[in-house]
Amino acid sequence: MTGVRKSFGAFRALDDASLDVRWGEVHAILGENGAGKSTLMNVAAGLYSADAGTLLIDGVACVFSDPRDAIAHGVGMIHQHFKLVNRFNAVENVMLASPRGSYRRGLAEVGRDIKRHADALGFSINLDQPVGLLSIAEQQRIEIVKALVAGARILILDEPTAVLADDEAAKLLQTVNNLARSGIAAVLVTHKLRDVQAFSDRVTVMRAGHTIATLDPRAISSDELTTLAVGSKIVPPSRRGHTSGTDRLIVRGLSYGPQRRPRLHDVSFSVRSGEIYGIAGVGGNGQTELTDILGGVRKPVAGTIELMQPSGACVDLTSSGPRGRIDSGFATVPADRHGQAIASSVSVAENYAIAHVHKGRFGPWWFVNRASIRDVASSAVREADVQGVRSVFQRIGLLSGGNTQKLVTAREFSRMPSTIIVHSPSRGLDVRACAAIHHRLLAARDNGVAVVLISEDLDEVLSLSDRIGVMTAGKIVAEFDAPADRQAIGRAMVGHA
Amino acid sequence: MPFWAGGLISLSAVLLGLIISAAILALAGVAPSSLLTEFVSAVADPQSLRAVLNQSAPLILVGIAASIAFRARFWNLGLEGQMIMGGIAATAISLGKVGSDDARIGLMALAALVAGMAWVAIPLVLKVLLRINEIITTLLLNYVAQYALYDLLFGAWKDPADSFPHAAPFSAAERLPVIAGWLQYGMVVALVIVLLAFWLLQVSRAGFYLRFIHANAVMADHMGVQTVRIVGTVVLASGAVAGLAGFVIPSGMEGRLTQGFFEGYGFSGVLIAFLAQSNPLAAGIVAVLVATLFVVGQSLQIFYQIPFAMVQLIQAIIVMCVAGADFFVRHRLILQR
Repeated sequence: MTGVRKSFGAFRALDDASLDVRWGEVHAILGENGAGKSTLMNVAAGLYSADAGTLLIDGVACVFSDPRDAIAHGVGMIHQHFKLVNRFNAVENVMLASPRGSYRRGLAEVGRDIKRHADALGFSINLDQPVGLLSIAEQQRIEIVKALVAGARILILDEPTAVLADDEAAKLLQTVNNLARSGIAAVLVTHKLRDVQAFSDRVTVMRAGHTIATLDPRAISSDELTTLAVGSKIVPPSRRGHTSGTDRLIVRGLSYGPQRRPRLHDVSFSVRSGEIYGIAGVGGNGQTELTDILGGVRKPVAGTIELMQPSGACVDLTSSGPRGRIDSGFATVPADRHGQAIASSVSVAENYAIAHVHKGRFGPWWFVNRASIRDVASSAVREADVQGVRSVFQRIGLLSGGNTQKLVTAREFSRMPSTIIVHSPSRGLDVRACAAIHHRLLAARDNGVAVVLISEDLDEVLSLSDRIGVMTAGKIVAEFDAPADRQAIGRAMVGHA
Repeated sequence: MPFWAGGLISLSAVLLGLIISAAILALAGVAPSSLLTEFVSAVADPQSLRAVLNQSAPLILVGIAASIAFRARFWNLGLEGQMIMGGIAATAISLGKVGSDDARIGLMALAALVAGMAWVAIPLVLKVLLRINEIITTLLLNYVAQYALYDLLFGAWKDPADSFPHAAPFSAAERLPVIAGWLQYGMVVALVIVLLAFWLLQVSRAGFYLRFIHANAVMADHMGVQTVRIVGTVVLASGAVAGLAGFVIPSGMEGRLTQGFFEGYGFSGVLIAFLAQSNPLAAGIVAVLVATLFVVGQSLQIFYQIPFAMVQLIQAIIVMCVAGADFFVRHRLILQR
């Protein structure tokens, strides 16, 4: 693949990305969240069509119209979220991907094919149970066999070990290695250094939509590899001489999820007034759960959340719910804007006003004053520079992601909060929108607000935070004071701390 | 797509439904020309216009009951059960001669409200506490209510005068009065309910929150909206209005509790809410149109021996046409070879 470009709206996910994979090797692709790894692979597997660039297989240029076309050329992808029909058994699922002429005869043929591949790989696969009842590892094995039966010679695995326990992951990667020995080209998308070093022959590092370098993972130290992946750009700390106050938000021993595989485990930290506490980490390590618990939407299994009031009184908020949080001066900007922060089919004005309706700002319980909502929302739209609003009574779903986020942050800050929880506030935003939101966070901090910044963007965390906790596998594994050492944080993020 | 195109598509869908219905009726032996005459005379003739208005009152009530429940994403298919319970409660007040003659009719209405509310409270509690699907529970509770009604009408409440399975007739004081010789008081009740529903859904703070609960309940939860409280209140109101419909029919139209007074109203209520897109004012208008259909259906029944099921068939055809047309409202067709 050379010179691949792909944009989503104004956001350039891939910029001149190039990759060459040899037959018989395991080729790792390493990078942070949002570096463009999955996008590049989705282009290779025919799921996305690139805006520019070429794809050659054995020197022949290919343009895939869809994944079926890609698999016909031998490119198969195993997605992070499996593409299996839960109620079908393994044979039916495989047959769905490689249809045969006759259903009855097909079932027998596919069953034989599965056995052949499974035996060669040393897999045991339950053919009769609906796949929804099988373990994650087993489903993944079915995905691999499915790709092979469909004729894949280039196998792309997107974060295959993210869902597996350590021993299962090692077993899987060994299998991938064996497959490569048999001549198949395997591409391993990952952010785990350990996997790269133990199991890949070559590694391509991606950052911000670019492919940075392709090298031999054994010829380079893990520190150097981390530097390549997270960048060595020095981010100037934007703090001006200010002092943070006393502890405002105190979180102790939060746990969430099933005991066997908790999503959060014994998370403790405290945030002072006039401080931004950054939580860095690769996505999916418990950030969403933590945001929801801090915002009161989910209840933790164990642990407490306490708020110190200026008067010195300490309030236990652990079981107070979203309304209780709001009444205690919380504002929350969740990462999933469309799912949690706005109602797409409701108007811009109402989506803004909902933060203040309960306080009677737009009239008593029996009358909501639309005219006053319109005025307040209009001036908020102007102040926050939200573009694309023709009328404040148009559906908010028509706004772009960046403008939606501007409005959501404007709404949350208009609550005059004393504690702010933001999760990935600048995800998918352009530079200008991003700067506007960062400016707001810094201004709030300078006004004595306690800010929790949960983000998968390390640059963002580094440039804004006064203190940084690193979250890995549902735990805060390390804590740093600003200015923090980027390498040290990077190592903690990928589990090398 | 301009905003009026959606309305135009829906309107053509209703017309298409009527044309298909006319074709079916023609097959059943009703000439299209006489069908047209029936429709025109239903609204032109003062006598039958009165019948249409009379018929509108309970239809408006069930249409509103369905609309407000649907706004809360609570699929109340138990309108008939709530009507039955409303009718039973009102009749109990009448048979027990509770209160003075002057207060009786008010008490009957109140009892109907409370009974409808109580009957919808069961599926509401089951949904909130145990997440049991309300579509199933509301629907099945209709049958429970129905057999409770039969039990009373064939047993304890059987009219001693003629031993038919209906309750003894209401006294004059227990019947809804007729204003100025033609306007049924039930219609006044229905109009008040339309205005109240409009206030609840479009003007009040609960209605404001309800738009968010309808569009994205997760978001509403995140914003600290007390979802359960609002949905609960609205659903209870839905049951109360349906219960009131169960009072208006016996007291305003039939003069006593009969064994089939509720039939067809549950389906019609859902249909009205669907066609009106849960807008209370639109529901009022659609209900009058459906009432016209009911009245025409009754005269077809008498003059052409067309069964009442045909009216329901026509309603179903119109619903299917509108639901099918919804596809064209939401999607743009691109023809590709």
